[in-house]
Amino acid sequence: MDNQPLDRLTSALVSGSVTDEEEMARLDRQPVIQILPDANVIKIGGQSFIDRGREAVFPLIDEIVENLPKHKMIIGTGAGTRARHSYSVGLDLGMPTGVLSVLGFFVSIQNAKMIHYLLARHGIPSIEPAQFAQLPLYLAERQACVCVGMPPYAYWQPNPEIGRIPPHRTDAGCYLISETLGCRSMIFVKDEEGLYTADPKKDPNAKFIPKITVDELMELDLVDVVLERTVFQLMKNAKNRRSVQVINGLKRGNLTRALNGEPVGTLISA
Amino acid sequence: MVEKASTEQEFPIDRRRHVQSMLMRESLLDKQVMTSTETPVVPMLPFCHVIKIGGRSILDNGKKAVYPLVEVLGRLLENFKLVIGTGGGVRSRHVTSIGMDLGLPTGVLAQLCIIDALGNAHMLGTLLAPFGVVAIPPEILGHMLPFFIKSAPGVICNGDPPFSIWEQPPRLGRIPPHRTDAGTFLLAECYGCATHTLVKDVNGLYESDPKLNPDAKFIGEITVSDLRRRNLPTLPFDRVLLDLLANARQVESFQIINGLRPELLERALRGEHVGTIVRKD
Repeated sequence: MDNQPLDRLTSALVSGSVTDEEEMARLDRQPVIQILPDANVIKIGGQSFIDRGREAVFPLIDEIVENLPKHKMIIGTGAGTRARHSYSVGLDLGMPTGVLSVLGFFVSIQNAKMIHYLLARHGIPSIEPAQFAQLPLYLAERQACVCVGMPPYAYWQPNPEIGRIPPHRTDAGCYLISETLGCRSMIFVKDEEGLYTADPKKDPNAKFIPKITVDELMELDLVDVVLERTVFQLMKNAKNRRSVQVINGLKRGNLTRALNGEPVGTLISA
Repeated sequence: MVEKASTEQEFPIDRRRHVQSMLMRESLLDKQVMTSTETPVVPMLPFCHVIKIGGRSILDNGKKAVYPLVEVLGRLLENFKLVIGTGGGVRSRHVTSIGMDLGLPTGVLAQLCIIDALGNAHMLGTLLAPFGVVAIPPEILGHMLPFFIKSAPGVICNGDPPFSIWEQPPRLGRIPPHRTDAGTFLLAECYGCATHTLVKDVNGLYESDPKLNPDAKFIGEITVSDLRRRNLPTLPFDRVLLDLLANARQVESFQIINGLRPELLERALRGEHVGTIVRKD
């Protein structure tokens, strides 16, 4: 069977330089497939959500269970206040970014385990990065699966430009799952309506932004943003997942509406 | 550790349960907070040298390129602690082309490429086995590295970072941007190693590909910002390495050397300038 474009691609890759981005992009003609187009990725915030305990978490768990018949969900967890504690102690002791990344991963695992046990009676499993090959089966069988939000970069976590906190944390980790697997949506469940012009917990004059593009967001150059900054850069380069929604999970019904495709928080698109 | 003075009164009622720490209640997305986290780093393995052995440039060329290098590595292992990462070479290029044709995303291509580099790590591990150096499975490499390095003169690993399906899509196309040059650099940076050397089949960096243009001018030493300014169409290393080096805190340069002249390796490890040195500004 003749496949000339493939032959050209293969010989260019084998003999050419993959650092020549323009040339490589020219040869890249096939659209990227969506591996799990029906699945929604939901990230449950650590400090913003899980650290609030049952008052916040139980109603959200109920809402996730209510949506099981209609929606497939990959549920990633944030790290939260214990990660901040680990980072603080780690920074004081001189730990490099890669070690802080391992510490953040550990806290995210704890939160994934807790969310998993609350969903366990509905037959919902929890997986670590090495088990992602089983994810499609779990979604087909049980509609949802809990996973660790932190990407497994560990000692290989790139340094940030400023400071030493790992730049790719649980927002980036969950986002990359939605991008690579070509998922239906990426929903960040937090404790604020979405994006504001400043941290609404500290500045009562902060203004709500219902809809914004990544370029507009970069232009605003806010001191504080609702998602990790690396997510915005990743979105600009994304092949599949060009928009994400940040919602207030403390309001009952918001998750359901977001899963149904309604705008209920801040829609950020690239 | 430094604890923040109690500032309970300044904030509205906060129903999040916090743990006392410097970063308590702080948004890790706040630039000012981030600046406060710039503190000195502890180097874990400052006596180790990280060497990346090219896949296509060295290992794929078989005996004639690899045996002389192995002989030199064997000798060096008597005096140096080495972390040796391998590239994936031609097989990685091949699987990437098939994967691209099938429409698979960057993260999947990254996962596939790790496997070729691992195969090369095992081949090099076989050749270096008499020196007590073997390929370490990537799952335990990061955590166990100091232990292995204390027990053996060196280790071999696949050069890729373990990003797998979490690899980041590049600006153009979909080839994984963090490949084996980047992975070995990140490892060297995290462990605070003495040097990072890329062993290839060219003398270093040229203004254009010396294999296509024999008159290409050699660049012996350059900084990240100079190299970015020149915007060369091809580089003899992963382009993302420039971003990683720009943010480095511990490994502030790397050197590209010609592995077909393996005698250069020892001089590179001693800090001599024998190829192209790329430096952080």
